[in-house]
Amino acid sequence: MTKSLRSALLGAVAVAVFSSSAWVLGAQQGGAAGAAGEAQGGGRGRGRQSGPVTPAPRLPDGTVNFGRVPGEKGVWAVPYITNMAMRVVGKDGQVLPEIQQAQAAARAGGGGARGGGGGGGRGGSKSEPWMPWMPWSAAVYDYNSKNESKYDPEGYCLPPGGPRMMATPYQMEIIQQPEHKRIFMIFEGATHIWREIYMDGRKFPEGEELNPTYLGYSVGRWENPDTLVVENKGFNENSWLDYFGHPHTDKMEVVERWTRPNKQTLHYEATVTDTGAYTRPFTMAWDIPWREGGELPEYICQENNRYLNRLEDDLGQPIFGPRPQPGQKPPTGTR
Amino acid sequence: MRTKFAVVIAGLVLLTSARTIVAHHSFSAEFDANKPFKMTGTVTKVEWMNPHTFFYIDVKDEKTGKVTNWAMEMGSPNGLMRAGWSRNTMKAGDVVEVEGSLAKDGSPTGNARSVMMNGKRLFAASSQGNTQ
Repeated sequence: MTKSLRSALLGAVAVAVFSSSAWVLGAQQGGAAGAAGEAQGGGRGRGRQSGPVTPAPRLPDGTVNFGRVPGEKGVWAVPYITNMAMRVVGKDGQVLPEIQQAQAAARAGGGGARGGGGGGGRGGSKSEPWMPWMPWSAAVYDYNSKNESKYDPEGYCLPPGGPRMMATPYQMEIIQQPEHKRIFMIFEGATHIWREIYMDGRKFPEGEELNPTYLGYSVGRWENPDTLVVENKGFNENSWLDYFGHPHTDKMEVVERWTRPNKQTLHYEATVTDTGAYTRPFTMAWDIPWREGGELPEYICQENNRYLNRLEDDLGQPIFGPRPQPGQKPPTGTR
Repeated sequence: MRTKFAVVIAGLVLLTSARTIVAHHSFSAEFDANKPFKMTGTVTKVEWMNPHTFFYIDVKDEKTGKVTNWAMEMGSPNGLMRAGWSRNTMKAGDVVEVEGSLAKDGSPTGNARSVMMNGKRLFAASSQGNTQ
């Protein structure tokens, strides 16, 4: 009895020690592990709170400060959201009831819309009937599901576009420069990118003047001292909405709403309107936890991307390597 | 009975908690989580680089004596540093025991989940993880 009790206790201690070390590791990985856990619950994504919740800091002009306060360090620990369709919210800001049902079914049956990396099943467009598919976007999504996101541009070290910047699990910072009427967002990962949000009330360039780019053209305004609204247009078509491979076109427009309900939490909301790929707009939302004391180290994705070197198309030809010339024997593989 | 139960539970928790996620490329397009491996070899080269640190080990087949050089993928240097590594943690000549998942294409390539070195287990900030 005593021996079994001791063994059980030891087991429990091992569990506790391992769980906490895994948590530390997860938290250090950009909050990805923690975010993965909470996201599957179908909630709006609450960050892990390690200490007391305190009010959001403010700038001298009264608007919310999305960054650090003097004398302190900290970064936003962006979660890993691989399937944004599971974050679509209704007018009430809550995840759609049908998504909660799909998640419950996936939990019961394993796989489905929730599955993904690590060998889990992927259900394709049929598993997400709430998404306003067009036939072609559903077909492209099914293709990306079937080959398990083999051709994800982020795997090529290309930047995310639109909301995926806030769903790629590397840390980021928001730096406000009200005196210059602009806001910078800088990202450790996702190819070490930055974006500038113009706060000077400018109009969007029109026609050919709006040159399509990965991150788009961003114009922001304060809806009230708590809410930053950023409109984005001018995306190119070289990125995916998420790892699962929801496509978008260069007609995509994204309206982002940023709030900091408390110092430890950034609430992010993005409404995607893409008349080229989806029959109606949809809104997604999640929370991003603040990591007190964090800083951004360098991350240059392009350095040694062997995945890209090895990548072959569906016909077995290298995507980026030399292609066989007429009369030449095709290569037999790159690895 | 209870001893076994406790050990099994501890093992299960260990397996399910070890989610280290660094997004870069598609894990499941390249590796098969259903093909786990555990092998010991001698390090021949370490590439402490982004987006994935690679190391190479010579593994000897006990039966045939044939030595194969395996490529092992880990996370980014940033991810590894957060997991306790430095660029000098692993050097050519070190003998390491690696656990992870094999490549789908049958080449001598693996995605390392953890590395046992000098009696110490280090997590490899693997791109294999529980996705949402």
